Amino acid sequence: MGVAGDGVDLAAIKADWIGRELETTTYLVDGDDMVKWAVACGETESRFIDPADPDFQAHPTFTSLFMHHPGLPAEFPKFSDRPGMDGGKSVELLRPVRAGETLAGTASVADIFDKTGRSGTMYFVVHRTTFRDEAGEDVAIVDWKLITPGVKA
Amino acid sequence: MTAPRTERLTFDDVELGDDLPETHPDVSLEKVRLFVEASGMPFARFTDNEAAKAEGLPGALVPGIMSQGLLAVMIHQWAPGCRIQKLDTVFRFPVLTGSKPRCVGAVTDTDEDTRTVTIDCTLISETGETSLLGTAVVALD
Amino acid sequence: MILDLHTHSIMSDDGRAKVDNYCQWIRKKELPIDGFVLSEHRQFDATSDYRHLEDQYGLLILKASEVETDYGHVLVYGVNEDLVNAFDFARVDNPLGEVLEAARRCGAVAAPAHPGRVNVGMFAHFERKGPVEGIDLVEIYNGGSRPGDDDLSVREAERFGYRGIGGSDSHIVSRIGRCATEFEEEIKDMDDLVAALQGGRFEARSWA
Repeated sequence: MGVAGDGVDLAAIKADWIGRELETTTYLVDGDDMVKWAVACGETESRFIDPADPDFQAHPTFTSLFMHHPGLPAEFPKFSDRPGMDGGKSVELLRPVRAGETLAGTASVADIFDKTGRSGTMYFVVHRTTFRDEAGEDVAIVDWKLITPGVKA
Repeated sequence: MTAPRTERLTFDDVELGDDLPETHPDVSLEKVRLFVEASGMPFARFTDNEAAKAEGLPGALVPGIMSQGLLAVMIHQWAPGCRIQKLDTVFRFPVLTGSKPRCVGAVTDTDEDTRTVTIDCTLISETGETSLLGTAVVALD
Repeated sequence: MILDLHTHSIMSDDGRAKVDNYCQWIRKKELPIDGFVLSEHRQFDATSDYRHLEDQYGLLILKASEVETDYGHVLVYGVNEDLVNAFDFARVDNPLGEVLEAARRCGAVAAPAHPGRVNVGMFAHFERKGPVEGIDLVEIYNGGSRPGDDDLSVREAERFGYRGIGGSDSHIVSRIGRCATEFEEEIKDMDDLVAALQGGRFEARSWA
């Protein structure tokens, strides 16, 4: 795979970045935010909206809120100057997330690929954050698909 | 609107092809503001129509991760006490703050070994567009 | 005989549907289709064998490809070794003319997918770059279309004299069968499908 018509050497970028670990950031799981999140989504089960519930836990996709900090590093290649889009998220929850716990989120680039879609040729970067608890156990894995349109033809 | 069920659904109660009760989530400005507060995303595009339009958007948008949460609520209302293990979604079309979307879902796979089911879930905008679609893996007792 | 001519399984990078589950869904929901064609993105899946599922569910399951060109996506039926070697299925910018010519040369049929899609459908490219010769079949009904997309596909297909097929473009199980194609003759295998698409005895259907 050589350089694409818009000058992007996807093979080189993939070789350089896929699997590379980025930053690790710690996040405190705030119980108030957990409740607000769940109530905002219309949740009615007490395990998500009542801190007094013995099984009080974060809504299943709560860890995706940590995804936006910090995102891809500044030195990650720019596919074009066109603004990017959020292509979707996958959240895998390995156990309930509890109020007050501290999670360490380690980001990495899980995949990079191109395809043509509704907006023309686009580059997809799958940004993966693996969240671990203080015991080092995996708690959640969040994949965030970042889409950057290629250079406009 | 159908009231959320209270009795627990078990794996043995579920079959491939079962439809989840449709939900009509509240994505009013009040709810979106609450979500934005919880998620630390103070971007005007979610809560201010004029600011959103200035960015070239059709109006204030429901955050994508809130849309995911709406699908999770649909699943919880269908099977109280269930455990969503994975929710994998693709954003297709924005949902406007204050609009009237609906969530639909159906069981498309069951796994006896893990007692999990896969649910195809979709958030459909007020104008009939598929806004968000994906699959959830849900563990049932 | 009614076949959904455009579906994706987990073999496609954005597919989430297992073929077995497609079959179960079709039977459980009593969908009015007799089978489907797996048209995986940018590849031809030569290895998967679904004959056991055909026998189990009484459905016809065929394999094709959805490739990408400089005029949008194209469905290719009748993929064989010659065609796989004729151009790079993994590329996102194959020249449409070359894909059409290669398909014809290798005895396959190529049909631009969702040609009415805004910005990226073939007809949008026609407006920007002019039409391409050598097309006689397009997908006029696509289950993933937004309101208006298929209307444009139908209108422009008629204007250019293209025949039309239908397919769901399903990536998840519950979307299969939203659109399909009804054939006058029985289709038993891909050779029959190619012959029917070349012979013109079919009609696109939509339940979307």
